[in-house]
Amino acid sequence: MVRSWVGRGSLIPEPCRVNTRQGRLPHRPPPLRYRVAKGRIAGSMRLAATVRNVRYTFDTVGEVMAKANPPKSGDVLAGIAARDAVERVAARAVLANLTLADLRNNPAIPYEIDELTRMVEHSLNESAYAAVRHLTVGQFREWLLSTAVDGMRIRSVSPGLTPEMAAAVCKLMSNMDLMTVAVKCLVVVRANNTLGLPGRLSSRVQPNHPTDDVDGILLSMREGLSYGCGDAVIGVNPATDTAESTAEILTAIDKVLKKNGCPTQHCVLSHVSVQMRALDLGCPMDLMFQSLSGSEAGNKAFGISIALIDEAWDKMKHLGTARGPNVMYFETGQGSALSSAAHHGADQLTLEARCYGFARRYDPFLVNTVVGFIGPEYLEDGPQITRAGLEDHFMGKLLGLPMGCDACFTYHARMSQDELECLKVLLATAGCTYLMSLPVGDDIMLNYQSTSYHDISSVRRLTGRRPTPEFDAWLSEMGIMDGDKPGERFGDPRVIVP
Amino acid sequence: MSRTRQLIDALRDQMGGSAPLPPPPPLPRVAEPPARVYPRRAEEKSAYAREASAHTTALLGIGHVGTRYATDVVLQFQAELAVAHEAVGQELPDDWAGKSGLISLQSRVQSHREFLLRPDLGRRLSDDSLGVLRTAVRRGVDVQPILADGLSAVACMQSGLELLAEFTKACEARGLSVGTPMCAKFARVWLEDEIGYEVQAKVAAILLGERPGLGTGDGLSAYLVYAPAIGKTDGDRNMMSNIHARGTVPKVAGDRLAVLSKAMIDQRTSGVALDLSHLTAELGEAAGRHHRAPQERVRLVEVQS
Repeated sequence: MVRSWVGRGSLIPEPCRVNTRQGRLPHRPPPLRYRVAKGRIAGSMRLAATVRNVRYTFDTVGEVMAKANPPKSGDVLAGIAARDAVERVAARAVLANLTLADLRNNPAIPYEIDELTRMVEHSLNESAYAAVRHLTVGQFREWLLSTAVDGMRIRSVSPGLTPEMAAAVCKLMSNMDLMTVAVKCLVVVRANNTLGLPGRLSSRVQPNHPTDDVDGILLSMREGLSYGCGDAVIGVNPATDTAESTAEILTAIDKVLKKNGCPTQHCVLSHVSVQMRALDLGCPMDLMFQSLSGSEAGNKAFGISIALIDEAWDKMKHLGTARGPNVMYFETGQGSALSSAAHHGADQLTLEARCYGFARRYDPFLVNTVVGFIGPEYLEDGPQITRAGLEDHFMGKLLGLPMGCDACFTYHARMSQDELECLKVLLATAGCTYLMSLPVGDDIMLNYQSTSYHDISSVRRLTGRRPTPEFDAWLSEMGIMDGDKPGERFGDPRVIVP
Repeated sequence: MSRTRQLIDALRDQMGGSAPLPPPPPLPRVAEPPARVYPRRAEEKSAYAREASAHTTALLGIGHVGTRYATDVVLQFQAELAVAHEAVGQELPDDWAGKSGLISLQSRVQSHREFLLRPDLGRRLSDDSLGVLRTAVRRGVDVQPILADGLSAVACMQSGLELLAEFTKACEARGLSVGTPMCAKFARVWLEDEIGYEVQAKVAAILLGERPGLGTGDGLSAYLVYAPAIGKTDGDRNMMSNIHARGTVPKVAGDRLAVLSKAMIDQRTSGVALDLSHLTAELGEAAGRHHRAPQERVRLVEVQS
């Protein structure tokens, strides 16, 4: 893989750096099974590790990052994946010994050609960064896992982390590692209600309709609310991307929510420029939505830029109808940059982390990965989709976002319904802020399988979680829930007045 | 015995010794739960389900057992899932095109798994197929239709030939010349670019099995592009989806695709730049670039009593 990295600084740690830090931080020498090359040899040769007497060398930090990634069909498609499991371990051994400073100095896409790289570099919290810059990725993993490090500590470090750092440490973690750290993270946001408190699991009601039939959307929404879903947002993906249609759907939803005194937010997920025009029409809009990609070129393919989202955010602060202060909603998903040939040779996990670097600029109320939506050419099967869901949730939380997940598959991916149900429980256990919810999990417009109305109350009961406090109180008042149990009107959509 | 050991033993006694749970009470006859059926006839539906089915195909008003689905709903769901997975998993038999009187082509993909994982290979023709295309087909036509498996070989084999025939007939009725009928295996949409370019067609039209939804593995989509050549993007194409008995039927779809083809040739463009505003009467909903026709939800599981 030939590619040019415009590195700004050393490629790897000074040989003495790890050793001199031993006094300050718990650091164990690498086990004897592998040995990481160190010493003052030519830059490109230093990225090397020996596993079982075979020496593996890597040309760039980007190559190390890509090859350290767990198996993903999208990285194979891009031609950047490790050849085999042993090369993957060698890459991880090298990655474990890079410092967080090395990662800041070697962003996945060069500073000169990518506005996201520049924005992250300029907006990084220097004092938070200074506290951890000397740690190797391996040490950072151990710091995050240690019992003494709680949610507040992670909140302190988040603003000093670049997306590449979150991606790097993610690659050294097992699924249970990812869950163990993610559940510690503390991200609480507020629009009309308060999302992300400990012991809470929220959900988006996604009442999509193939022709935007407003009656059909409202019928589905009312049923969702009657199952205790919808405290994250009532969010509709429209079939028609026009300002008039966006305004019509929002106005209709707003009326029903107001009539029933329902404490939640609404959103129509049309393009951000369409939503801005809808705001000009004077319609209610609690949250503004946009899909994000992890590179400037990827965002260009989505028809957006930092300047445009800045403008949209500013407009929402003035014209948005939620109490706030968090008013933005973003969706992401591994593989989106590659699908528009905008990946610059970077792996899909790192690019996904860069979406979160973009999102956190706007203190969003919601961010979720649509993990299995893009298809098997990026995430092939159940294990890959499960892994990616836990990775994305972890990275988002680590970077300070109220991270949710659309746990889903398309019908041409090899994931069973049982595997998908398992993923929802894993995510809830990991402290996932919200999941989606649809009738029987079936999106009749986008043709894929996600979380169902029934799943949300099931997962909440399995993991001992409740909706947001405001929504919880409303559900009790309506008789939909009786404490943590289904109430008398549970699953009866007529309880919601049209 | 240590103090801790004593405490542990005392705790065990306190928790019931060898029988940590009390014996279960005797169970009287369990009442049969009320019938909760996936509604297939109006009189069986709840009032809410009846109202909902007039507006949406979402499965609404299905009730619940605890927080989960009734057995009947589970079976319906699993049947719908099986339909979708079967459609994706089925391969187009190698001899199907020949037996159906079509020129047989294949992309550079070798296996079904590779087809799902390598969209890039599904967009280019194999060398053998390129040879066939250069020797055995009519060139310089107005419209080159290409039947293909896409993500549902089932749909291709079920209604593909009918759609191809209706489309061909409708094109000829409008005075358009139509290329040699052909069928491509392991094909992605963009394969039409290379095929259309090779046969020097003005319009390439690939008719292929679409990504199945729950319970719908029989849908075809059509993607049309003017002046086909490698490098065309989705913005250069017009598409029509949900071509099947419950959506747009092949006869109607064939007519509309011919109208689209004619418009492309008249305006010498396709995709975003194509102006269809004067054709809404003939095109119906297909005048929009991404229209999806509404469908009905069909009950798949019937239990004989």
